[in-house]
Amino acid sequence: MSKEAEVRLSIPASPEFLRLARLAAAGLASRMGFTYDEVEDLRIAIDELCFSLVGNTGRPGTIVLRYWMQDDALVVEGAGQFEDGMGTSPALSPLSQQILTAVVDEHELTIGKDGPEFRLLKRHSAA
Amino acid sequence: MSMSEDERDELRRTFEAYAESRDPALRDELVTAHLGLAEYLARRFANRGEPLDDLVQVASVGLLKAVDRFDPDRGLEFSTYATPTIVGELKRHFRDKGWAVRVPRRVQELHLRLSNVVSTLSQDLGRSPTIGEIAERAGASEEEVLEAMEAGRAYRFASLDAPGSAGDEENQSLASQLGQDDPLMAGIEHRVALSPLIAALPRREQLILHLRFFEGLTQSEIAGRLGISQMHVSRLLARSLAKLRGSADDS
Repeated sequence: MSKEAEVRLSIPASPEFLRLARLAAAGLASRMGFTYDEVEDLRIAIDELCFSLVGNTGRPGTIVLRYWMQDDALVVEGAGQFEDGMGTSPALSPLSQQILTAVVDEHELTIGKDGPEFRLLKRHSAA
Repeated sequence: MSMSEDERDELRRTFEAYAESRDPALRDELVTAHLGLAEYLARRFANRGEPLDDLVQVASVGLLKAVDRFDPDRGLEFSTYATPTIVGELKRHFRDKGWAVRVPRRVQELHLRLSNVVSTLSQDLGRSPTIGEIAERAGASEEEVLEAMEAGRAYRFASLDAPGSAGDEENQSLASQLGQDDPLMAGIEHRVALSPLIAALPRREQLILHLRFFEGLTQSEIAGRLGISQMHVSRLLARSLAKLRGSADDS
């Protein structure tokens, strides 16, 4: 699975669809031989970052997620496109920061041209 | 719904009477007469992970609404009118309940087994197992394992008062596991901070503090015991406390 084998997922920006974002990540990670704990970590990270984009109640718009493999890691990028404008610039609470640092190797939340974006990278430990 | 002409007429008259009088007894009669319809429709929604009994309940709520809103003067059959209402109620039930209950039962069961499988496998392997390994041990596909992991997490509402999971030692409820401030901690902290300061005081002042605050003697009792005036005790106490306060603020 190289960059060409990229998976794209576009979901409505509301909490009940985040399940699909997690499931896609879990499916790919499982394909790459990630362990149970690593898959759980990944799912937590996707939740944290997606919730930071859409809030607890969701927003009108979509999140486009892209997943691909980079060396021995899974990279996930998410970009929010919201109809209610850019809103406040995205920020992670100290707790979210701490959680993300604990569960993934890299993460960032930035403002892109269409809205807030995140990126995370989770390495696959040599099992 | 097979019904004889007579029954049909009978029901029509009951509907007309109910539309007029809103008599709860007539309402009961009408609802009871159509429970079969509710159950029939509920069955159509079975096998979606919800117990049939619950669905029948939901369908019955829809039936109640339909009975209340039905207008016999429009010439529609009641079942024609009620079916979309009941189906709407069932659909809303599935939609509102969201993922929490739409998880198919086999996935729910797998989810319950999962934590056992994961912990035994972790012990056997000495590391966290891969999804493939879990699937093999659980006799399920990788997709099913992933679905089951998903089933456990989100959209499950926990009651604070429900007993904890079976693995918990005493099945404590979540509420009983909530932490709270221990008021004694502050006291301990103060005592720890004060003890070196007290030790630095002259012996007689230490003794007075001890008698006053640890043994609870009054100033006159202390005066009597030490053979000094109560005024003197009062002055010494005030001085000791001032010193303690001063050094506590410094440190």
